[in-house]
Amino acid sequence: MRPENYQAVPLGDSNEYEIFIGPNHPGIEGNYALKLILDGDTVVKGTTDAGYLHRGFEKLMEGRLWIQNLAIVPRICVPDPAPMEVSYSLAVEEIMGIDAPIRAQWIRVLQLELSRIAAHLFTFGGHAATTGMYTPMYWGVADRDLVLDLFEDFTGGRVYSIYNIPGGVRRELPEGFLEKLSHLLDYLESRQNDYDNLLFTNQIFVQRAKGVGVLSKEDALEYGVTGPNLRACGLAFDVRRDDPYLIYDQLEFDIPTQQKGDAWSRILVRRDELFQSIHILRQVIAKLPSIKGPIRTAIPNPLSWNVPAGEAYARVESSKGELAYYVVSDGGDKPYRVHVRGPSSMHAVQTLEFLAKGARIEDVAQIMFSLDACPPEVDR
Amino acid sequence: MMKKELKIKSNKTNQQKQKRTNPLANVFDDFIDFCQSKSLFMLHYCTGCGAIELPPAMTSRFDMERLGIQPMVTPRQADILLVTGYVSVKTLKRVILTYEQMQAPKYVIGICSCTVNGGMYWQSYATAKKLNEYMPVDVYIAGCMPRPEAVLEGLNRLKNNIKNDRKEQKGSAWKDYYKNYDYYLGNQQNLFGKEWQTPVDVIAEAKLYGLEGEGTYGENTKKLKMVQHPLLPQEMKL
Amino acid sequence: MSLESLNEILNKINTIKITHKHKRRIRVDVKADSLTTLLELIKGQASFLHLSAITCVDWIEDNQFELVYHVWSYEENCLISAHTRIDRDDAKFVTVYDLYKPADFFERDIYEMYGVFFIGSPRMEKFILTEWFGMPPMRKDFDSEAYVQETFNWTEYNPDWLQELSDQGGGIAIKPEDIRLSGTLHNKATHREREKAKKEHVVGKGWKS
Repeated sequence: MRPENYQAVPLGDSNEYEIFIGPNHPGIEGNYALKLILDGDTVVKGTTDAGYLHRGFEKLMEGRLWIQNLAIVPRICVPDPAPMEVSYSLAVEEIMGIDAPIRAQWIRVLQLELSRIAAHLFTFGGHAATTGMYTPMYWGVADRDLVLDLFEDFTGGRVYSIYNIPGGVRRELPEGFLEKLSHLLDYLESRQNDYDNLLFTNQIFVQRAKGVGVLSKEDALEYGVTGPNLRACGLAFDVRRDDPYLIYDQLEFDIPTQQKGDAWSRILVRRDELFQSIHILRQVIAKLPSIKGPIRTAIPNPLSWNVPAGEAYARVESSKGELAYYVVSDGGDKPYRVHVRGPSSMHAVQTLEFLAKGARIEDVAQIMFSLDACPPEVDR
Repeated sequence: MMKKELKIKSNKTNQQKQKRTNPLANVFDDFIDFCQSKSLFMLHYCTGCGAIELPPAMTSRFDMERLGIQPMVTPRQADILLVTGYVSVKTLKRVILTYEQMQAPKYVIGICSCTVNGGMYWQSYATAKKLNEYMPVDVYIAGCMPRPEAVLEGLNRLKNNIKNDRKEQKGSAWKDYYKNYDYYLGNQQNLFGKEWQTPVDVIAEAKLYGLEGEGTYGENTKKLKMVQHPLLPQEMKL
Repeated sequence: MSLESLNEILNKINTIKITHKHKRRIRVDVKADSLTTLLELIKGQASFLHLSAITCVDWIEDNQFELVYHVWSYEENCLISAHTRIDRDDAKFVTVYDLYKPADFFERDIYEMYGVFFIGSPRMEKFILTEWFGMPPMRKDFDSEAYVQETFNWTEYNPDWLQELSDQGGGIAIKPEDIRLSGTLHNKATHREREKAKKEHVVGKGWKS
């Protein structure tokens, strides 16, 4: 509408007014929008508006070969792409009735945990920025870049690695990689104190984050919340332990939980998880050299590769929560149907709307970042 | 929606170029270009994956600020619009609205292969394929996704274009939007429907900048007037 | 709860087919009218609290939509996938929103992408595809690629260096029968390339196997 066409909106009796946040807004994660109805500065109702990142992934995948799809699956969640590849590969492997060799499974775990560390470091910065603290963002992104350098070293890609294929992983680890990884883990652990002082125990942040976006355990279960957000409500559920895939049942790790379910609990769970990932990676470093063998099970010529008819539901724990791929094959050279269950599709729509209700407007951005919502998972 | 290939009519403007008589004017012009290229505010519209490489480019490791480029949160104060990745049709509408709100001179950078040609989503029904059909693009940074170094290189190239604008006429793609508004509007209407219009009166702006030409008007801009309905009297209520 | 008692609960539904895929995955096939009863049963008696996803599969040859409800139990550590089929022409089903709140998102998604209407679902409206006015795009009879070819123009990309390379005999050689960049059913773009490649037989001149 042009200015000359504007009609003044007649004011009703209520004091409520409507504002839009996003899609291009610094307080919104990614390309996403919220429509808020406000009374004063309290949100009466929040409605999400998604679809800005919609590419029709599931349609695209039906039109591409099984192997071609590996190139586009990581793009569904940009900050944490590795679980996407692994989940898709696991689903295809289940339909094929094959397993990746043991060594490949360990390498996959290594990739998954590194990706989790990168994603969490990225989130800390984002969450802190919504409360007006920008230094954690600078630190988090800089430390994440060290992880990305390692990714580049062993997969060839900085962000999207496209390292997995059904049946294993594509390449052997480069020489001296585990030492490099070990150094990085030492460095990250040495940063623990700095991060604690800067962010996790910083009163400026704690005062803002405590008591914001409180999600009770019952509500979390009702709204299908998973991952760190669920663990922040006190339920110790982790797909890695309770529905184990790869070799997670051979690893020792704790599942960090918090009881309060607010934004602060959620970021604390992520902090603890980051150090659990480091703990897991140390076990991988210790064990991996002793595991010899191939890294790939032979699959037929990928260009004329027909996966037998069947279906599989493969779940993995991504940094955001429970990620699942439902893959259906009709025996053809392309998937018949792929459904991506992104964890954020639960967090960013209904849970966000639920938590935004009654919150103050300045906390809405923080609630969204504390849920670690990833909009492309909603839109796909 | 039917496919239509529109053509750019001409790049001439109605206004004659004034001859500068003052010898100092050129020096001042160069100085203005120099200053402009050294202080740029960037609005990055996070349209897709490419946005993930911008935080590293902006923060300590690659540090965009040493080039004189800083992120800006509002379109009205920004000089550069970074379109970071594929643009879905729903986003494209918002990108155009954002672009028209920006003050001239304004520059557009298309990051990722998807803005060039649809990239790996070329089959997708939901994404627009060529960004420069809908708005003039100064620099494309191809790659899926381009590394922060590539982003910085692209920004550097834009800076050079701005600096040498008056000599080589490279950094003035934004003028094209006014000169050929009919073309861009036609493409937008093809995608969004005939009733598409934006709050900004681009033709009036073109007149203001002295950039209206043959291509500013056309059959597509006529549609704008057809859609506009007269202002209705406001209902008064106490 | 043991596996037997879970089987007992499931067997309360008539005409149910239970397949144990492995320890933590159970596939269940039921008729459309008993699906809600099944979900009520397993939620109430076996604590399957978490609706992981609802998937719709378009079986166009059978003229049916398949709806798959993936339900997880935090106590049993077990996932039940309940499959049911509905008619494709009269695509309607009952909502499970009163049982599982996440169903709101999935049902809205399926409504947009497949056009299956869920009776009683709170928000049967556009969400992701607000700017889309065609048929539901995920249906198998919607050809995305044909739509793209009809709607969008492409950037021509013929740089000099590529031309020089192929003049010198370089380039990538692909046999015409192997060209399958995407290979959808009605693939116009690849068709065009196939025709072009057939004419030239190989793209790069100097390639020998």
